[in-house]
Amino acid sequence: MMVETTGNNRIQGWSPAATLLAVAVAYYVGAQLGFILRFPPTTPSVLWPPNSILTATLLLTPVRRWWLYLLAALPAHLAAELPVLPPLLVIGLFATNCVEALVAAAGLRWFSDAPTRFDTLRRMVGFVLVGALVAPFVSSFPDAALVAALRGESYSVVWRTRFFSNVLGALTIVPAVVMAVRNGLPNLRAAAPRRYLEAGLLAGGLFLASMGQFGNRSEFVPGLLAGPPAPAAVLLPFLLWSAVRFGPGGLSVCLIATTLLAVVAGTGESGIFMTPRAAEAVLSLQILLSTMTIPLMCLAAVIEERRQASEALATRLRLEEMLSRLSAAFVRLPGTEMHRALDEWLGRVGEHLGLDWIVIAEYSRTEADELVVRAWAPSGPVKPRTVARHEVPWADDQLRQRQTIAVRAVGDLPPHAHAERLMFRLYGIRSCIVVPLEAGERVLGGLAVGTTGADRALREPFTGWLRLVAEVFASALERTAMEDALRASEGMKSAILSSLSNGVAVLDSDGTIIAVNQSWTIEGATVGSNYVAAWHETARAGASHGRDAAAGIAAVLARERDSFASEYTARDSTAERWYSMVVVPLNQPGGGAVISHTDVTERKRAEENAQRSREELAHFTRVSTMGALAASLAHELNQPLAAILSNAQAGRRFLDAARPDLGEIRSILSDIVDDDKRAGEVIERLRELFRKGEQEFVSLDLNALVRDVVKLLGSDALIRRVRMHLDVAAEPLIVAGDRIQLQQVVLNLLVNAMDAMADCPTEERVVSVQTELCDGQTARVSVQDAGPGILTGQDDLLFEPFYTTKPTGMGMGLSISRSIIEAHGGLIWATNNPVRGATFSFAMPIRNGAAT
Amino acid sequence: MSRNGARIIVVDDDISVRRALSRLLISAGYRVQTFESARDVLMNGDLGRAACVIVDVRMPGPGGLELQEILLQVPGPIPIIFITGNPDVPTAVKAMMAGAVDFLSKPFSEEELFGAVEQALALRRASSDQGRMAHRRR
Repeated sequence: MMVETTGNNRIQGWSPAATLLAVAVAYYVGAQLGFILRFPPTTPSVLWPPNSILTATLLLTPVRRWWLYLLAALPAHLAAELPVLPPLLVIGLFATNCVEALVAAAGLRWFSDAPTRFDTLRRMVGFVLVGALVAPFVSSFPDAALVAALRGESYSVVWRTRFFSNVLGALTIVPAVVMAVRNGLPNLRAAAPRRYLEAGLLAGGLFLASMGQFGNRSEFVPGLLAGPPAPAAVLLPFLLWSAVRFGPGGLSVCLIATTLLAVVAGTGESGIFMTPRAAEAVLSLQILLSTMTIPLMCLAAVIEERRQASEALATRLRLEEMLSRLSAAFVRLPGTEMHRALDEWLGRVGEHLGLDWIVIAEYSRTEADELVVRAWAPSGPVKPRTVARHEVPWADDQLRQRQTIAVRAVGDLPPHAHAERLMFRLYGIRSCIVVPLEAGERVLGGLAVGTTGADRALREPFTGWLRLVAEVFASALERTAMEDALRASEGMKSAILSSLSNGVAVLDSDGTIIAVNQSWTIEGATVGSNYVAAWHETARAGASHGRDAAAGIAAVLARERDSFASEYTARDSTAERWYSMVVVPLNQPGGGAVISHTDVTERKRAEENAQRSREELAHFTRVSTMGALAASLAHELNQPLAAILSNAQAGRRFLDAARPDLGEIRSILSDIVDDDKRAGEVIERLRELFRKGEQEFVSLDLNALVRDVVKLLGSDALIRRVRMHLDVAAEPLIVAGDRIQLQQVVLNLLVNAMDAMADCPTEERVVSVQTELCDGQTARVSVQDAGPGILTGQDDLLFEPFYTTKPTGMGMGLSISRSIIEAHGGLIWATNNPVRGATFSFAMPIRNGAAT
Repeated sequence: MSRNGARIIVVDDDISVRRALSRLLISAGYRVQTFESARDVLMNGDLGRAACVIVDVRMPGPGGLELQEILLQVPGPIPIIFITGNPDVPTAVKAMMAGAVDFLSKPFSEEELFGAVEQALALRRASSDQGRMAHRRR
């Protein structure tokens, strides 16, 4: 339906030589016929077919070959006319004949959109005006002048006769010849028997009517049409019949037949035109036939136009219907059915349009440079295959630019489309249309339809319709791709979710659980139950964290918070377990939240273990530090003990005296009390250091803490001959910290400083301890020694465990100091002094609001 | 009583120890001068008339051993008794080798103290007798 049979540049598959011969023969026969149809003694014929045959030939052939056909007609012209007419006239007449054919063919090509078609009123009127009136009119002037000059005939008579004979010839012969050549005999062969019968009846009726009209009635049909002659009126019904039922082609044939009969009858001096003067008779006949022919031809064209329009409309309707069925079939098609449906509908569309092949090529979703091709041919679906993009580079390029490709013949391909041209030759493709499959911004591929075989071409107008089909296919493919992607993404998401060891639940905006993963094993919180309510229940049962959790989740659901996290303990059947819960909003229009639940018991235990280990290690190093300090501690205690003992013994002696000095004894006792207290303090400080306490953060003053440690080490410094300078900040440095741990840090730094100077001359052994407030936010303690300093490149190693420069050191002191300071949110570092020794410092934040 | 009137110098950085020691010695009839450092006693001490020096081994600045070294260079050596809060053998040996009378570790009893003081006084007397006899022989 959408494929039309067309001639290619040759006439219906004939070879050029055969065509040329045919033209020559037709011209000769036409000329002989023209001679017969003359009213001697006038030269022009009543009907002169050769010119019409030339015109038809030129209309059917490409302009660049015209000279060939005109040349082919020359021998025929000479052969036909030389025996009858003088040579000069023969040549001249040929020239005028050619002029007429050229004017007609060139004019029609200029004016008409389809010079070889007579199926619309516009085309027909164009033909009548240009081909049948103007061309004979123009060419008759030189023709008549020639005849008048060479034969001495009347110029006006010759002009008139020639003009009308050529008008009649053009009107009747040109459409008949052109249509016969263009549409060919297949149309006739394909016709139904009823059409043959009708044509036969028409032919018979027309013959009888013509005979009755033009012929000798008494000879042909005695008595049948007796009575006064009824000019032309009898013929009209038959001609109308042919125009209505058989179109311009049928009409043309009938007109030729009628004209021939009329002319034969007229030239035989019989019939209605029996006038004394032959020229007048010819003229009457020609005018009658021409005037009858023109409106009839137009009528036939109008009828044909209407018929084609209604046929186009019906076609359009069928296409629309097909399109709507196609859309309906694809609109709710599940992705899994897609390929089966594509194959089915490719077939339906292809069959419906009478195509030779239809192809849907989709850019591969996995291979960037491949097209997956599904095809249908009248023999059935073709197995899908892939085509590399570089096999059809030009078409690929056009598709990507969203261009529709319409190729009516291989010659329409641009010169650089080599690969495509090869493909046309390979598959015998005659014509094709390719429309892009577009989905939004993307081109998914192309829909291609086409014909094979030399004489089958696609009609233009259905490109638009094809685009609509492509749209349906494209949206279906797009949807399939999206469904596939969605399915893959869903699959991946659910795989990820189920692989998580965390329990994950999705809540709607009311807090109702709408989905959980496999690891979600929270008791009483199943899909469909309200999770916030579950926490309220927990709170009512006495768990203090329940209320916070419920409030936190509610806040996230209400979009008041971006997230909520909490850790809590819960008892399961065997032991207390720790859980961590994280709540984040669900990013979808309806709101909701995602809950992630993790059992962090192991982590908690590990943390507790690590904390315990750290404390044990800290304690151990503290004890070992104190062990090293044993001598100085003994000194510290022995001082007051020695004083107490001496005082006590002195007191006893005083009491032994005859008159004891009671004032002195009171003073002795008071000193004893003081020394005892002093010894007690030493013991207390020691006990504190030795205590294996749990970490406990309290507010404390770093100044006091440092002062205590310096005091504790006073004896040690003395023994080691080290002078200690303490320079404390004027303002109290209140920090939040664990007293024992911080004491340990200061102790470590002081002992290290003194150790560092063991080999220094006595007078250089100075440790400066300084506390200060930096920028109002940070307390800093620094311990400066005058030892050898830190070896270059060892700065980073200093605080690592087991790093030591001392022969008996364990290398744990600074490492523990660092972990303590970091646990207090502080920093510890060491630098070399400009002159000598190193300074170890730590800094930690002042407790909020404590700085003054 | 021979001990009456014997002048004893006590050097200790710990005031509490100084006070207690001086009280004990006074209760036994000695005259006592106390100093808080070696430097102090060298500058202000009446070393010429002192019968003995009781000195703490460790003090800020020069300690007992340094004081002993200096006193050894003085003609008519003064007996020295060391007292210490953290006794250690090397120091004790060093002190004794250099001629110390005794090396007492705190806390010490009055018997230990007086024993050492008596020994020192005896030494002092002996050295002064020797000096006197030598003087007479001349």
